[in-house]
Amino acid sequence: MHDIKRRYVIPGDKIAEGNFRPLMNVIKAGNSLIATRIGIAETGRDGVKVIPLSGVYIPRVNDLVIGKVVDHSSLSWEVDISSCFSAHLPAQDVFGRDFSPARDDMTRHFAVGDMITARIMAFDRTRDPMLTVQDRDLGKIPRGEALKISATRVPRLIGKRGSMIQTIEQATQTRVLIGQNGIVVVTGRTPEGIKLAVRAIKMVEEEAHTANLTQRIKVLLNVPDTPQETSRAPVGSAPKSEQVESTIDEVEEELEVEGEK
Amino acid sequence: MTQTRNLIDANGKRTDGRGIDELREVKITVGSVKNADGSAFIEFGKNKILAAVYGPREVHPKHMAQSDRCVLRCRYHMSPFSTDTRKSPAPSRREVEISKVMRESLEPALILEDYPRAAIDVFVEVLQSDGGSRCAGITAAAVALADAGINMRDLVAACAAGKVDEKIVLDINDTEDKEGGADMPVAYMPRMEQVTLLQLDGRLTPEQFNECIDKAIGGCKMVYEIQKQALMQKYFGNETELKEEVQ
Repeated sequence: MHDIKRRYVIPGDKIAEGNFRPLMNVIKAGNSLIATRIGIAETGRDGVKVIPLSGVYIPRVNDLVIGKVVDHSSLSWEVDISSCFSAHLPAQDVFGRDFSPARDDMTRHFAVGDMITARIMAFDRTRDPMLTVQDRDLGKIPRGEALKISATRVPRLIGKRGSMIQTIEQATQTRVLIGQNGIVVVTGRTPEGIKLAVRAIKMVEEEAHTANLTQRIKVLLNVPDTPQETSRAPVGSAPKSEQVESTIDEVEEELEVEGEK
Repeated sequence: MTQTRNLIDANGKRTDGRGIDELREVKITVGSVKNADGSAFIEFGKNKILAAVYGPREVHPKHMAQSDRCVLRCRYHMSPFSTDTRKSPAPSRREVEISKVMRESLEPALILEDYPRAAIDVFVEVLQSDGGSRCAGITAAAVALADAGINMRDLVAACAAGKVDEKIVLDINDTEDKEGGADMPVAYMPRMEQVTLLQLDGRLTPEQFNECIDKAIGGCKMVYEIQKQALMQKYFGNETELKEEVQ
């Protein structure tokens, strides 16, 4: 059993004092640890971090993102991943080592305007993010309805162990693809189902910080309550804790969830 | 600056009925511009100011980008209808100056090294002006930056102090600014206890100067509490403490 202390912080708030390691969105000033973002501060054994509640998407290596091909040169595609940096997908990644711009037609694979899922292969302070599509389930997205939500809401949309997204998918008979950059693509058999799923996703984004959201999503989607679910989020229990838990757990779990699809 | 009438009456009240250590009413609303990444609307006495933050985003023109840090760009602008006689919407000398000092007062609070090759744009639009609009603008911009989720070492709160009827008073309003003896806007980072903006218009003795700066910093601390409250309200509602739980 380990204690994790949590509290709400704004930039400049002192989270803890002493010999802690600053992990995420935390700086050390003298002997105190200071939050640099609005969010939920977490003091654990391995260090102190702040889970942010706002902000644009900043790429990280190994993130799964959904982007739109906006241009291509003779050697790479340029992909808009709705971040301050535009990403590059090298043609060699798709065609292999012996890619030749003279022989291979790049538009055969991705044309300008295509949506793709990709993984960030490399990114640091000095260069723009480099993408790869060499993995299972990566590549072109053939159809679907794309929408954008805030990247900080992505863990909430997935929910605890994928509970939120599974609820939405099952109730609306759709498949929802989520990129960590906040781009979501919904595909489904019926336009009604897609419309309903989009509404549910927008509701999750707008009300991400409120309690018992899964419950309200179920009402919106007309899903009968299962007893197991009610025990997980009992009405009137510590209101914010549900969100806090899912936010924290799912940041790490998300890759797995994505991988399962 | 010559004073033409008494700005502090026999009871020690100022033209708008405040005491010498009293702040005007300050109200901050966070997130009022939906299209921006972060925004705040501040009512600082009669000032009504909107601050919107975009970014970190791509730098255009590209040559402005810095390879080791983010570029912070500020624009302070007064709407033509913000004053009683129409103000030309073209940037005036004063607006260019305020844009610059505003950028310099916000820069120390931001961790710009975290976003190399990007830009953060801060737009401060004065909808209705009263004295001390640069302080109100900085205060709103700091809240908007926090709302945009940009890494910050601390918030920046700003407040002016000045000399009226040979007395040092807090938070100068428009009349006191025009007719009073001195005006000193101060921006301050409360946790780091650092001053990021210090301007002075008028004459003060060294003693008055010290009193004035102390008073202004006191005002900044009051403003800081309001900033904090506004941010907390937006993100956490009325709850200020998270219930602790053991996993």
